[in-house]
Amino acid sequence: MSSEPIIEARDLGIRFVRNRRRQLSLRDMFIHRGGSHPRAGDFWPLRNLSFDIMPGEAVGVIGRNGTGKSTLLRLVAGVLIPDEGAITTRGAVAPLLELSAGFSSGLTGRENVHLVGSLHGMSRGTLRAKFDEIVEFAGDQVRAAIDTPVRHYSSGMKVRLGFSVIAQLHHPILLVDEVMAVGDKDFREKCYATMERLLAEGRTLVLVSHNENDLTRFCTRGLYINAGKLEVDGTVREALDAYNGLVRA
Amino acid sequence: MTSSVAAVWGHRGVLRLLVQRDLTVKYQQSVLGYIWSLIEPLGMGLIYYFVFGVLYGERVGPAHASYPLFVLTGVFAWMWVSSSLNESTSALTGQARLITTMKVPREVFPIGRVIGRFAEYLAGVPILIIAAILFDGDFGWNMLALPLALMLQAILLTGISLLLSSLNVLLRDVERLMRLAQRALFYAAPIIYPLSRVQQSDVPEWVKTLYEINPLVGIFQLHHAAWIANEWPPNWLLITSAAGCLIVLLSGWWVFRRLEPAVLKEL
Repeated sequence: MSSEPIIEARDLGIRFVRNRRRQLSLRDMFIHRGGSHPRAGDFWPLRNLSFDIMPGEAVGVIGRNGTGKSTLLRLVAGVLIPDEGAITTRGAVAPLLELSAGFSSGLTGRENVHLVGSLHGMSRGTLRAKFDEIVEFAGDQVRAAIDTPVRHYSSGMKVRLGFSVIAQLHHPILLVDEVMAVGDKDFREKCYATMERLLAEGRTLVLVSHNENDLTRFCTRGLYINAGKLEVDGTVREALDAYNGLVRA
Repeated sequence: MTSSVAAVWGHRGVLRLLVQRDLTVKYQQSVLGYIWSLIEPLGMGLIYYFVFGVLYGERVGPAHASYPLFVLTGVFAWMWVSSSLNESTSALTGQARLITTMKVPREVFPIGRVIGRFAEYLAGVPILIIAAILFDGDFGWNMLALPLALMLQAILLTGISLLLSSLNVLLRDVERLMRLAQRALFYAAPIIYPLSRVQQSDVPEWVKTLYEINPLVGIFQLHHAAWIANEWPPNWLLITSAAGCLIVLLSGWWVFRRLEPAVLKEL
């Protein structure tokens, strides 16, 4: 295990604008170059976050709704750009931010697997070799419909196929946002098994979940985020206790 | 900027996939499929030929070439411009789910749209060749104008699409504005009328200068010149046009980079 953190956040902060009209002011956008003028309607879903995640760690992100957990995951995935501070990832990221994401409804399941897989960096050869495995994992229903357009799929089917593709990626960092909540029991078991296999391979996991069982099952470390601030960075137990303490109070 | 150019180049495989997907999706639900990309400009060409070639006769067309060929060379190239403008406004808004889950340089989405529409232009080149044979086109050195025109046009459209796609996320008005802007641009370049008509007209000199600053003017002259040799634009026009294209590309790319953080939040 290398001593360099695989994910490194320094004073991370991102600002959203509550009143969208304000954002439309071109003058603000071009003249104040990212200046931090406090403006009415601004709010910071996350601010002053610093943490290091080492390779192979499994980190659970805990917090109430709307405290910036998903925003954090998007920042790590690189699909949001921070307004303050920096986030560095040393390695490719396999994001499971939205399970069926990236599927074009007009394309068939087969075409979508190829598109999304290659957008995530899978080579043609790998995709061809793994294709059957991906479809197999997604289940019989999906296999029967693999050549029909995705818009005819049920949301469960899209989720299954989406997870199957992501699970085949060899990226060292895995980001998972509330996936365990979807899919039926059967599929959830498959997901659990896959996650455990990936962790055993030494991947780094960042998991957002409200499910204590999932968190304690996979994670060794917990980040408890409240009102955009990192309040607890410790074991999952400590983070969960802080979260539960707040919810009970 | 150089780093983001490199990033886009590094993801050219992604670019290819996006273009392929775009074309597949676009044509799989229509019976005639890609033939539409030929019917549309042909139909437009026929309309303009009827109005300006038949009804107005000599008053519009070029002096030394057949008007049908002139219109077709203009209109086919124009389709690339207009469909790029149309589709680049929605390049980010329409693919939000892909953009918010995939870490690829965001520039590939608008650039992909421009390339997709270019493929449609290429599909029309055989038609242009046939038209040039039928209507006495010139096949010679003048054809070198075509690659030059395509290069300039690609530069210009890339710049515009970067600008429009990012701006449209924050100001949805852009999409509506483009419909009007397209109409204006269509008549503001020598597409269905020859450049000489503008140069010989009575409008004040400053209007002519303003007109010639439009990089599309040089580009369309080249498109005509590729098949009609005596339409070859003067050097100063080419230089103006090339400079204009580069300025648009640089500023489009700059705006895109500036707006990117806000755009990602908004999607």
